[in-house]
Amino acid sequence: MIQHFPVLAVMLLFLGAFCVEIFGSKNEGIRNTITMLAATIALVLIYALIKPVMIDGEIISYWMGNWAPVSGYAIGIGYEIDALSLFFALLVVTTFWLSGVYSLSYMANDHHLGHYYTLYLMLSGSVLGLVMTGDVFNMFVMVEIMTFASVALTAFRNENEGTLEAGFKYLVIGSMGSSFTLTGIALIYGQCHTLNMAQISAQLSCGGLTPTTVMALALIVAGFGVKSYIVPFHTPAADAYMVAPTSISMIFSGMVNKAGVYGMIRVLYIIFRVMDQSNVQMLIVLFGAVTMFIGVTMALTQHEFKRLLAFHSISQIGYVITAIGLGSALGLTSGLFHAMNHTLFKGLLFLTAGAVLYATGTTNLDKLGGLSKRMPKTTICFLIGAFSISGLPPFNGFVSKWLVYQATYTKAVESGNFVYAIVTVVALVVSVMTLASFIKVTQAVFFGQLPAELKKTKEVPAAMLVPMYIMSALCVLCGIFYPIVNKYLLYPATNAALNVTNYIDKMMGDGYAAGLGVSNIEVAPAAFSFWNPIVWLILFVVIFIAAFIVITGSKSSRGQLLQPGVKYDPKYATFFSGEEELFSQVGGSDLFWGFKTDWKGYYRVLEGLHSGIVTDYAVFTVIATAIITLCMFIFMR
Amino acid sequence: MIIVNYIASIVLIVLGLYTVCTKKNLIKVVLGLGIVDYGVNLLIVSLGFNDGGTAPIYQMSDLLNGVAPHFFVDPVPQALTLTSIVIGACVDAMALSLVIMIYRKYKSINADDVRRLHG
Amino acid sequence: MKFKEGITEKNVIIKCGADKFLPFALTFGLYIILFGTISPGGGFQGGVCVASGALLLYLGYGYNIATKAISTEALRVNEAIGASLYVILGLLGIAFGANFCRNIFYNMGAVGDFLSAGTITFMGYAVGYKVLSGVGFLLLLMLGLLAPDPDDADAAPAVEAIEAAEAPAELPLEEAVDAAVATETVKEGVTE
Repeated sequence: MIQHFPVLAVMLLFLGAFCVEIFGSKNEGIRNTITMLAATIALVLIYALIKPVMIDGEIISYWMGNWAPVSGYAIGIGYEIDALSLFFALLVVTTFWLSGVYSLSYMANDHHLGHYYTLYLMLSGSVLGLVMTGDVFNMFVMVEIMTFASVALTAFRNENEGTLEAGFKYLVIGSMGSSFTLTGIALIYGQCHTLNMAQISAQLSCGGLTPTTVMALALIVAGFGVKSYIVPFHTPAADAYMVAPTSISMIFSGMVNKAGVYGMIRVLYIIFRVMDQSNVQMLIVLFGAVTMFIGVTMALTQHEFKRLLAFHSISQIGYVITAIGLGSALGLTSGLFHAMNHTLFKGLLFLTAGAVLYATGTTNLDKLGGLSKRMPKTTICFLIGAFSISGLPPFNGFVSKWLVYQATYTKAVESGNFVYAIVTVVALVVSVMTLASFIKVTQAVFFGQLPAELKKTKEVPAAMLVPMYIMSALCVLCGIFYPIVNKYLLYPATNAALNVTNYIDKMMGDGYAAGLGVSNIEVAPAAFSFWNPIVWLILFVVIFIAAFIVITGSKSSRGQLLQPGVKYDPKYATFFSGEEELFSQVGGSDLFWGFKTDWKGYYRVLEGLHSGIVTDYAVFTVIATAIITLCMFIFMR
Repeated sequence: MIIVNYIASIVLIVLGLYTVCTKKNLIKVVLGLGIVDYGVNLLIVSLGFNDGGTAPIYQMSDLLNGVAPHFFVDPVPQALTLTSIVIGACVDAMALSLVIMIYRKYKSINADDVRRLHG
Repeated sequence: MKFKEGITEKNVIIKCGADKFLPFALTFGLYIILFGTISPGGGFQGGVCVASGALLLYLGYGYNIATKAISTEALRVNEAIGASLYVILGLLGIAFGANFCRNIFYNMGAVGDFLSAGTITFMGYAVGYKVLSGVGFLLLLMLGLLAPDPDDADAAPAVEAIEAAEAPAELPLEEAVDAAVATETVKEGVTE
């Protein structure tokens, strides 16, 4: 019975989407019931698969219509769920369930909500189907459904400024990526005459890599790169995350990104198995490093809360791609762990941004300020998310970033190539700049002085707070109890990605892989060698108590806020240029003014490239695909 | 192995990408996306060709007499192409509806004017 | 429909042409849907042919009369009904103990009969029904966006309605790949 659970989860989500379309456009209660019922059933079914797949280590292989392979040839569509698929499926299912709970009250004032929930369920079902399928064309169909639902949801609030153009850009770039993927799949079919991933993997190992398959690999990697928003393909992401409703932005940054990352891991590690060649590793690591750096430097100059979070999302995916590109077990473990942590903390940050938007009606950093007095719970959740993304000790970002540094540095030492050492330094610098950027956002939005028009903001309703609490708790727990996460989630997933023999044998019958010469790699569990986060937590608590005693104990005088209408001593006039300001606030865009002025040339080039014209973005996509294809052809053995 | 079909599909894909990258009218950009899709569809269908094969359907006379079917072309790429045509139609429909709404809001469909989100 | 100043009625030749071609379009499309498993065609192709009937109606009679004859609300709901029917037919395989999309009507008739191919026949009908209502809805929606009458209250529906019609159109793609497997069904039916 348990082998039916994955297909049931995906198909019940689609059935829920159609039922909302039939029944839900007039009646709100039925609509919410069907949505949450479908989402909850999918959640329960996928969580029930943890025991067989992750803990006992079996692989579920499922042929649709019972079309088992005939004389060594796969003729049906197969779903194969190994530990790597289930790892991503768990992330997907948790994210969209929390987003559904959040959107019950966040979207309550919008129109056309029947269409919203239909599209939301189709998006969730398609991403879930993408990570669990074992057939390469089925994966392409799911990618297309995901693109359509994402575009429709991006352009959902089409009375707002800029939503339609963001949706259009997303559609053009996403459709180009899908066309590249389809061309790659067509070339693979022409070479191997089968669409099943396990059989393609086995055939490519005995035939070797012909020029057709190298071209196919380059095109499919470019296609999935468009979906996971690495740097020259990242341009629609910034616009789309900004204008989409926030519960959908959370799904974009938590689920849709990861679908692209999952596609790249599947293609590089399992179908083509090229990750043991140092040139391919260098290509992917360089893409990841450039993504990290450009993402975070663009984020430092933004004036809008969600656009800043979008650039940070791009930068963190750069970390994941860098770690995956290393080709070692430690690299893959750190990449997967950072992907999981990114879903958690980035989802949390987007939910707090949505709470701020819901409560105040704006996300412009220059107009917000001092919200910590009016919305304390949101502030605490935001601080947990900000500390996690910057990589501060007791939270989960610290563990995964430390593993990424360790993985790149170990690779630099082992291979003797100093480029990996430079990548480690870049990763550290990007982490510092992330922290700087979040200090800026915290000061601009939550601390500082409350503007007059925001004096009446209230805390958001409970249905929006509950997902934030759950994600904050998960952030803290995954950071403290990382050995459990490693043993139950990461080690099985890494093992499944590096050992292809079990994957092939389960789908095609035992002995198939051995007959074609595929052999196993023994993977030891990743060793963690860094400071214990429990020690850091105790240290922070001790220092906090000490600081609290010192500050409240001493009667030090504090500065006074300026009161309107009161005449002040003119000796202070030099600090206010001789004028009385109603309040002095360090605005969000003023905090790193010196840094931005120093790098003026760099920012002029970069902001000129992000011109907003859709044809420019298409040119970047084509150039990057050409670079990937050329590099693969020149350097592949 | 029809060489002409392969060359034609590559030419179509390149022309479509050129249109998306250089033309400023948004409707021409959408047309370029469509041409890329048609090129890819032509490539997929041509991959299934077997020399001397007929259409991939069983003749009634063969089935009733128990004779083995004729040598036919591969039916799987034809199914893939059908799926891809549906996807292409949906992409075109969605893109054109977005262009209509952009025209209503921005009063222009030149890509240089539709750039309020930049930087 | 007023589509240019001064012209208030459609051309009589276009109206006659639409009158004569409409039943042919509907019958031809339905024939392609119904005989999908034993002749070239199938759900999607036949559905698009039937949906061209909506276009003929618009050409002959104008947008107002076309939407009075075919209500877009009903088309939208019927599209979702067709899609749900497809998924439920697939889930019937699980209810009968085998995997998803299992052919449970395998001994329905001899090869070459009208209803002989098993579950895929009914899935094809569901896809045809969905595509005909979906593409018809899409056509009427986009024609409504073209030139709304100034004295018409709300002839321009929101763009999300279009997009929500797009996304459910993706599911019949599964069926398109299953069509390749249908040939295996007939082969196994012959050899057994």
